[in-house]
Amino acid sequence: MLKFPKSAAFAVLALATLSSPSLAEGDADAGQKVFKKCAACHAVGEGAKHKVGPELNEIFGRAAGSAEGYKYSKAMIEAGDAGLVWDAATLGEYLTNPKGMIKGTKMAFAGLKKDDEVANVLAYLRTFSQEAAAAPAAAETGEAPVETAAAAAPPEPAPAADMVVEKSQGAFGLGRKALPEEIAAWDIDIRPDGTGLPEGSGTVAQGEPIYTDNCAVCHGDFGEGAGRWPVLAGGQDTLRNDRPEKTIGSYWPYLSTVFDYVRRAMPFGNARSMSDDDVYALTAYLLYLNDVVDDEEFELSKENFASVRLPNEANFIADGRADEPHYAKSVEPCMTDCKPGPVEITARAQVIDVTPEGEGDENSGGSID
Amino acid sequence: MVDITDPKPTKKAASRRDFLKAGLLGGAAVAASAGAARAAGDPLITEIQDWNRYLGEGVDVAPYGKPSEFEANVVRRNVPWLTADPVSSINFTPLHELDGIITPNGLCFERHHGGTAIINPADHRLMINGLVDTPLVFTMEDLKRFPRENRVYFLECAANGGMEWRGAQLNGCQFTHGMIHCVVYTGVPLRYLLEEAGVKTNGKWLLAEGADASAMTRSIPMEKALDDCLVAFKMNGEALRPEQGYPLRLCVPGWEGNMWVKWLRRLEVGDEPWAQREETSKYTDLLADGKARRHTWVMDVKSVITSPSPQAPVTHGKGPLVITGLAWSGNGTIKRVDVTLDGGRTWQTARLDGPSLPKALHRFYLDINWDGSELLLQSRAMDDQGLVQPTKNELRLARGENSIYHNNGIQTWHVNNDGVVENVEVS
Ligand code: HEC
Ligand code: HEC
Repeated sequence: MLKFPKSAAFAVLALATLSSPSLAEGDADAGQKVFKKCAACHAVGEGAKHKVGPELNEIFGRAAGSAEGYKYSKAMIEAGDAGLVWDAATLGEYLTNPKGMIKGTKMAFAGLKKDDEVANVLAYLRTFSQEAAAAPAAAETGEAPVETAAAAAPPEPAPAADMVVEKSQGAFGLGRKALPEEIAAWDIDIRPDGTGLPEGSGTVAQGEPIYTDNCAVCHGDFGEGAGRWPVLAGGQDTLRNDRPEKTIGSYWPYLSTVFDYVRRAMPFGNARSMSDDDVYALTAYLLYLNDVVDDEEFELSKENFASVRLPNEANFIADGRADEPHYAKSVEPCMTDCKPGPVEITARAQVIDVTPEGEGDENSGGSID
Repeated sequence: MVDITDPKPTKKAASRRDFLKAGLLGGAAVAASAGAARAAGDPLITEIQDWNRYLGEGVDVAPYGKPSEFEANVVRRNVPWLTADPVSSINFTPLHELDGIITPNGLCFERHHGGTAIINPADHRLMINGLVDTPLVFTMEDLKRFPRENRVYFLECAANGGMEWRGAQLNGCQFTHGMIHCVVYTGVPLRYLLEEAGVKTNGKWLLAEGADASAMTRSIPMEKALDDCLVAFKMNGEALRPEQGYPLRLCVPGWEGNMWVKWLRRLEVGDEPWAQREETSKYTDLLADGKARRHTWVMDVKSVITSPSPQAPVTHGKGPLVITGLAWSGNGTIKRVDVTLDGGRTWQTARLDGPSLPKALHRFYLDINWDGSELLLQSRAMDDQGLVQPTKNELRLARGENSIYHNNGIQTWHVNNDGVVENVEVS
């Protein structure tokens, strides 16, 4: 069942109409916004470190796969060895279709769809490349994308001199009274009954493009999960299966957790960058991907939030370990003749052989968490 | 390692520089009269060794000391296929190489959900808000003015052994059991901080929150918070390591590691739990009937033989063999550990050695005279509440194979005639 086939068709169309990978002058300021799509995985600017992907300082003129201390895919290293150097043309090609250009690259990014986005993000990256002879001042001011959104910035590192500081009234008189603004900045948790929800709203239809731009690279267009990134949708009625699939729709007990978690921790690598309305819209869209709502015009808001229930809520129970037979019986353990005959080996790790030994890490025997 | 037939390096008129170079090459030996040396005894004894003649490094070469270069394989390791990305992943303590009960700081396994946050302690704040008389903000300096305590605790990830539910998978106790460490913490009892803010009578729950990119959160019942939780800033005497939450972490003794929030920045008092992602989507235990247990906080009684084990085979042949391992329980102390050599038909009680502290690792030994025959080694721990470590099959019978968390089943190692060890399961 395809959700929003409209937009998928659009993506193909946009790619098809892309004229040439070497692009005209872009706008660095607009590129800074585009870079938000990269910031989950890449840092650039002073002090930038490798994240999911390598840092992108001095990318113009840099050989592919050559940033020190970063573990590239074999494909990227081979491309660099074969002479691939990043410039406007090669970057343009890679960013529009990463896997098409370098088969086997591990950059889990679908590609930029619009010519001007490519041109703008390249103009932005250029400001961090000496070779491209950009104003050096730009490099210093260009840290914004690595930091969390200003909207959610925590209070000043040290209390300003003129801040009214009320001492603690406790036994030790240590610490000071927290200001309401400070509590508001950090206290963003939400409970199942809706306590803590901010003002705002968003619809399924509004959530779709936000999701596609900010989440789909990792979680897949329909929440199916790209590669080994988490699956967010599907798996209904699989909890009793041999291989259950635990998602928001199939497993999570409360919708409040979706809002709370997306707002505090997603997109991965660029947390606290979504507005409250965006998070309402994303939460509505995740409900839609999980078939909890089926109307694209469905609007989720502070007012109707607590009325939405997830299907698996009733299946969470208390810790029952103490009542399990092996604990409940509480008898002295057997010391002699505890098994009737010689003991047989029934399973061996070497048969499965998923133990890491340096290289060769593509096994998949299950997952923790 | 020491083979007396090995020719010894000879260095005629070696300069100190040459000596250092050769040292780096490590055992790159120049052939000498090995045969003669063998007849005359172990050349490592009969001939003067370089380290016995030439001076070593001065005191200031390593202001912060490191382990010997010959211990380079004693490191944390990860299992790349477990998670999508190393920024939200896990690595494992090399239990097979360690002894005693304390884990060195640099070997404590790591699990983070948004990478290691780097925080200057001068920029760190701890806030207490919610159902309190006065919401408070503490600096690190403030926290270090409260009375402190020192406590030894194990920290085990609830997913330790999670890959083994479906049968023996990973060949090494580092991988099957290495999501655990045990250090001595220095910190302030959480109770003091909560009392400073004044918990209201309807304050029954506490939410702990981290300052990292995942802003990790967990709900903790107030009784536990007031009982033995610590807000710690030191481990094994020195500041917390960055990957362990520098400058501040929560200790929730005996309870699953995920609750020990690192980079602790906020404690909120409430009247109900928050149902955060780490206590709904994760850290809930799915049973075979499709129901899922929540709030499964305590780490059950458990043990494992750390040597011999797949990464620590028996290399010395027949004769005296030290079997050693670790036991622990989130309920308190370990009363007894039994070991079997025949896969569980007969058991003998092992010797506990070293301190026996509640909610800390315990070290056990069984010293045997190995006749070179095959062994099916298991250990079985019993805690001071009388709870006995169950078998893996007992756990599967009660829960199915999809619980992921809280696998405290008895581990079996098969030792073959050559001393090679494998992770197996038995009838
Ligand atoms: C989901 C994570 C992810 C996103 C999003 C992402 N990248 Fe990447 N990127 C990677 C990874 C991983 C690599 C390393 C690829 C390899 O080794 O095959 C990479 C490699 C690159 C390289 C090659 C670097 C080198 O040193 O050779 C460039 C350039 C690049 N990315 C630019 C971008 C830009 C610009 C964006 C945003 C429009 C972006 N990436 C979005 C993960 C990502
Ligand atoms: C760069 C990859 C990436 C991007 C982009 C991303 N996520 Fe995630 N997401 C992750 C990872 C990794 C986790 C698991 C984190 C952990 O281990 O704690 C996760 C977890 C989640 C979860 C919880 C899944 C579960 O089963 O517990 C939700 C919900 C989620 N993301 C929603 C989103 C939304 C909504 C967006 C867009 C705003 C987004 N993510 C963007 C990588 C990503």
